[in-house]
Formats: sequence, structure tokens, C-alpha cells
Amino acid sequence: MKDKKATYRQILIVIIVLAVLTAIEFVVALSLDNATTPLYIIALVEAGLVVQFFMHIYRLWRGEEHS
Amino acid sequence: MSAIAEQPHEEHVEEASYEERTRRNRLGLWLFLFSEIFLFGALLAARFYLWGNTRPDLDQGTGLLATSILLLSSGFMALGEAGIGYDDRKTFLRSLLVTAVLGTLFLVVVVGLEWNIFGIEGFGELKLTDGIYGAIFYVMTGFHALHVLSGVILILLVWNNGRKGHFSEDRHWGVEGAAVYWHYVDVVWIFLYPALYLIGNPVSI
Repeated sequence: MKDKKATYRQILIVIIVLAVLTAIEFVVALSLDNATTPLYIIALVEAGLVVQFFMHIYRLWRGEEHS
Repeated sequence: MSAIAEQPHEEHVEEASYEERTRRNRLGLWLFLFSEIFLFGALLAARFYLWGNTRPDLDQGTGLLATSILLLSSGFMALGEAGIGYDDRKTFLRSLLVTAVLGTLFLVVVVGLEWNIFGIEGFGELKLTDGIYGAIFYVMTGFHALHVLSGVILILLVWNNGRKGHFSEDRHWGVEGAAVYWHYVDVVWIFLYPALYLIGNPVSI
């Protein structure tokens, strides 16, 4: 089990990465004519981060733990 | 009647442990969320079929603001869930309240500004009656807003139970369930945002 500060720090880092990815998404959409593929690749990365670090999908097969 | 049939059913059933019940609840919630993929997947498919490489000329600032609010709310929800896991009740309760406020703010931005239900000048130029653009936009944001609304209600219920001391470091499935649901609502928006605001050439309605 991670300590409290490390967990809180991890949440902050994920939020910052999500904010940066959203900004990249916005810039990509403005600069490319057909941005469907890159935008959905970025969206998949964002969704993956949320599913792994916020939704803790691994608990489905590993049980209780904090991380 | 046989001896087995005469026995009350409860006597044969050993009550599952809290961990086992949580494991089952968790699986049930994830299966429910998986089924929801078909709802939003169908809406996304309809968007790409009907709009193709076009989109309504929506206000980019509003879309970015709504996205930022929802992502931030997800962070606070994660903080709240982690808080109860460490018996940090102050962080838990405050974070849940901030999440509910941010969720409400998201609804204000989407329903209040983008739908412009109050008729504010300069907002909500896309109407429900504006053909395929209005229909797709309102049905997608509408379904999502309903999920946000139910999430906010759920979080407030969990917050109220938390305030009364109903959760502990080891027993907080209610918090985890609400958190997973809330993050799911966020994940859905992560895919709706580019589909509605960013992909395709803007078309003036």
C-alpha cells in the first residue's frame, strides 16, 4: 500500500497530464484539416489514464488495494 | 416433502464477507458500465454517419471550459476516494463536495450556456430544431448531462452518508462505486468532446 502523500501526488500528476493532453487536442484540432485519428488517439490515452489511475480497473482481478 | 426442502433457505447460505460482496458489486458495476458503452457508442456512430467530416460552428471556449471542469472534478473524486482509504475524512468530505459543485458547474455550462435555456445573448446558437446538427448535439449532450446529474445526486448522497460516519478506511464500497461511475461519465465526455467540438469542418447553421 502506497503512502498517502504518494497517492495524492499521483492524482495530481494524472490531472496535469490530462490537462496537457486536452490542450494538445485543442491545438491539433486547430492545426490539422482532418484530425480525427490523432484526436481519437489522444482521447484513448486520456481514457486509459482515467480507467487505470482513477477507476482502478485492476481491482477487478487483484482485489483491494490503494494506489 | 424432503427434509432439505423443509429447512429455511437462510440456514444453508453463509453470508458472504464484505470483501466478497465488494468484489461482486464491483464486477456488477463494471458490467453495467460496459453495457453503457453501447448507448454512447451508438450515439457516436450516429454522429459520424450524419455529420461526416463536418460539425456545427460551436463556441470553442465553452467546450474547452466544460471539458476542463469535468476533468478537474474527476481529480477531486479520485482524491476523495483515496482520502477515505487513508481515513483522511477531511480530504474525503471536502473533495466530494468540490466534485459535486464542479459537476453542477458542468451542467450549468452545457445546459445553461450551450443549450441556453435562459436565453442569454450570444450563447446557444444551435437549436434542437436545426436539422441533423441540432438533433445529434442535443441528444448526445442530453444523455451525457443526465448521467452527470445522476452522478451529482449520487455523490451528494455518498457525501451525506460520509458526513454521518457511514464509511471507514476498510469499508467504503459506496464511495468507490460512486467514484467509478463519476470517472466513467468523465471518460464518456473525453470521447464526446472531440466528436462534437473538434472533428470536422465547422458549418454555420
